[in-house]
Amino acid sequence: MRLDPRTKLYMILIVSAVVMMSATTPFLWAVRILMTLIPVILLVIEKKYTSALGFTFLYVAALVLTFAFLSENSASFFKSFVTGYSGIVVQFMPCIITAWYVVRTTKIDEFMSAMQKMHLPDGITISLAVVMRFFPTIAEEYSAISDAMKMRGISLGGGNAVKMIEYRMIPLLFSCVNIGDELSAAAITRGLGGKVKRTSVEELKLRFVDWLLIAAFTSVLVIFVLYKYIL
Amino acid sequence: MSEYIINIEHVSFKYKGSDEGLLKDTSLTVTKGDTLLLTGASGSGKTTLIRLINGLIPHYYQGELEGKVTVSGRDIGNTELYELAGVVGTVFQNPRSQFFSIDTDGEIVFGPENVGLDPDEILKRKQTVVNEMHIGKLLGRSLFELSGGEKQSIACASVSALLPEIILLDEPSSNLDQGAISKLHDQIVQWQAQGKTIVISEHRLWYLKDIVDRVIYMNAGQIAHEWSGEEFASFDSKRINELKLRPLVVPDILSRGCDGDCECKETCDKVTEVPESEGIILKDFFFSYHRNPYLIWKKSFKENDPNLSLCIPRLVLPKGKVIGVIGKNGTGKSTFLKCVCGLQKECKGRIEADGKEYKGKGRLKFSYMVMQDVNHQLFTDSVEAEILLSMAEEDKTRCDEILASLGILEFKDKHPMALSGGQKQRVAIASAIAADSKLMLFDEPTSGLDFSHMEKVGELLKVLAQSGNTVLVATHDPELIDLCCDYILCIENGKLGYLKKV
Repeated sequence: MRLDPRTKLYMILIVSAVVMMSATTPFLWAVRILMTLIPVILLVIEKKYTSALGFTFLYVAALVLTFAFLSENSASFFKSFVTGYSGIVVQFMPCIITAWYVVRTTKIDEFMSAMQKMHLPDGITISLAVVMRFFPTIAEEYSAISDAMKMRGISLGGGNAVKMIEYRMIPLLFSCVNIGDELSAAAITRGLGGKVKRTSVEELKLRFVDWLLIAAFTSVLVIFVLYKYIL
Repeated sequence: MSEYIINIEHVSFKYKGSDEGLLKDTSLTVTKGDTLLLTGASGSGKTTLIRLINGLIPHYYQGELEGKVTVSGRDIGNTELYELAGVVGTVFQNPRSQFFSIDTDGEIVFGPENVGLDPDEILKRKQTVVNEMHIGKLLGRSLFELSGGEKQSIACASVSALLPEIILLDEPSSNLDQGAISKLHDQIVQWQAQGKTIVISEHRLWYLKDIVDRVIYMNAGQIAHEWSGEEFASFDSKRINELKLRPLVVPDILSRGCDGDCECKETCDKVTEVPESEGIILKDFFFSYHRNPYLIWKKSFKENDPNLSLCIPRLVLPKGKVIGVIGKNGTGKSTFLKCVCGLQKECKGRIEADGKEYKGKGRLKFSYMVMQDVNHQLFTDSVEAEILLSMAEEDKTRCDEILASLGILEFKDKHPMALSGGQKQRVAIASAIAADSKLMLFDEPTSGLDFSHMEKVGELLKVLAQSGNTVLVATHDPELIDLCCDYILCIENGKLGYLKKV
């Protein structure tokens, strides 16, 4: 199933707004959990079973811990640590799942034409597209550097936390700058950033599912705002 | 308008912030439909010349430019880069950094979309290009999971989709295996048939010698020689050697890689037996990238598991020799190296040498891998610190000895990132020596190097072997194997193809 990138962006926007409003009544909790289920289901539809399962497991575990075992007067250090930790997971997990879904399923091309349809300036569109393109590259570079550090036996920076970060960041920055430079040169020779209006073979249309999701997310936002600030 | 499609008139160029004049008063004309080969040592100005034609100089890389470049009737200095997009297409050296999209389809249509073509026209062009190049099976895939050769095919396709008159290739074969190079060769021939003007900058000459019309030999920023294609192809090895170029002819068995040679599987001896006492014994090296999902207990890999990416139950490597590891792209050479040196934790292989057994993390101590991209393995702010970091106990005199033996003592206090590629590689090798590793692994140490640098690497590997180290070097360069290898180890689909004395 293909969603319009605009729907996906809308989802991220609403979910981020909702996670900032804490759920206080059982009804609000129910709405929130239902909202979290939507991106999980979308991940399953996209056959990303492992990540769907992983996210669900983490979210459920954090929910169970928060509700069943812990309360505000959990006194011991361990308990307060766990409360804090699972509190954060419960609070922000919906956001992470949605963002993961969007990044994993949106083609850069689609994304750029969506941004164009929303009449955003090219400067913003191109920079965001480059950022999206760059995530997997950073991951690749990072794992190569970690390998090299293991080989040198300096994964832990010789016990020095600052060194540990320094050893990782310096080569990473150098290679990212290099790759970024080559990448822009290659993109420019293929006409990126010209004065001509860019076209796209990805036809964007808001379909029924898109409207359905937009409606669902809008109502979640309305419910939260109503119950928390108006009623 | 002149009759030449590319006209470079008395051009001198100096990169900003660099003292060296990289091009000195160079003039070059190219007739429409010609295929031109640029060759010469690294840093002789080949890439600069390519960048002059595609307009990256002066519009992207800044510096002092004198002279005039005209391409297809346009004065490059006064033409915006995006106007050149449909005229000049460039295939770059490194497949991983020339993609803008993350999927193959998006990459092919990226150029045409940028120049604002009608979507129907773009789809038609994409279909034509895909049919011409037979890359239908690559469509709809993520670019990050393609092999180097497949990536380069997509790069060629995305350049083709813009229908440029001129196609530039900047060391396109650096990261490719023999099979992928022959595809690239076919692609160039196809472009020739379509009447494109082609300029190729390249160190590997054997696959190009019969298809180029003109050869330009660059030296220190100037055009030193020029020959016709036939003249160049008839040069004997002595002449090529004098010019410090890579050979025109490579031993057939090496250029074919494993193909065909592994056919005789059961009948002929594929493995030169090395007595166990004189070798390094590898045992139970199994690994797979497609492991079954597990919940609690991670099972280790067994010999009879399906889908093994690496399956080497037992192998004896001759000690103190240089062993070339060959095989196609994606056939498991890098996996093999990573497993041997212990970076793939899930591979439970054991190494036995001199009566000692190394497993798990012990393998990391016993062996040391110099990666293809040396930038990933230099961490400190001076060459000396880099070497000392590798030593169990800091020993400055030994550090100086190692640096002197590799000829990089003078850079002792320099920042490793400020050195040239070859010097960085030496620093990485120096750290390997300092770490006192007996087994040294090299992943593609000569990709993109010119002949004199390759010779130096070859000599260095020999020296390492003579001083008692065992050297495994994964490579696509038959020239390098010819230069320094004592044995060839062929990996085919993760299995041992053969191990032979050269």
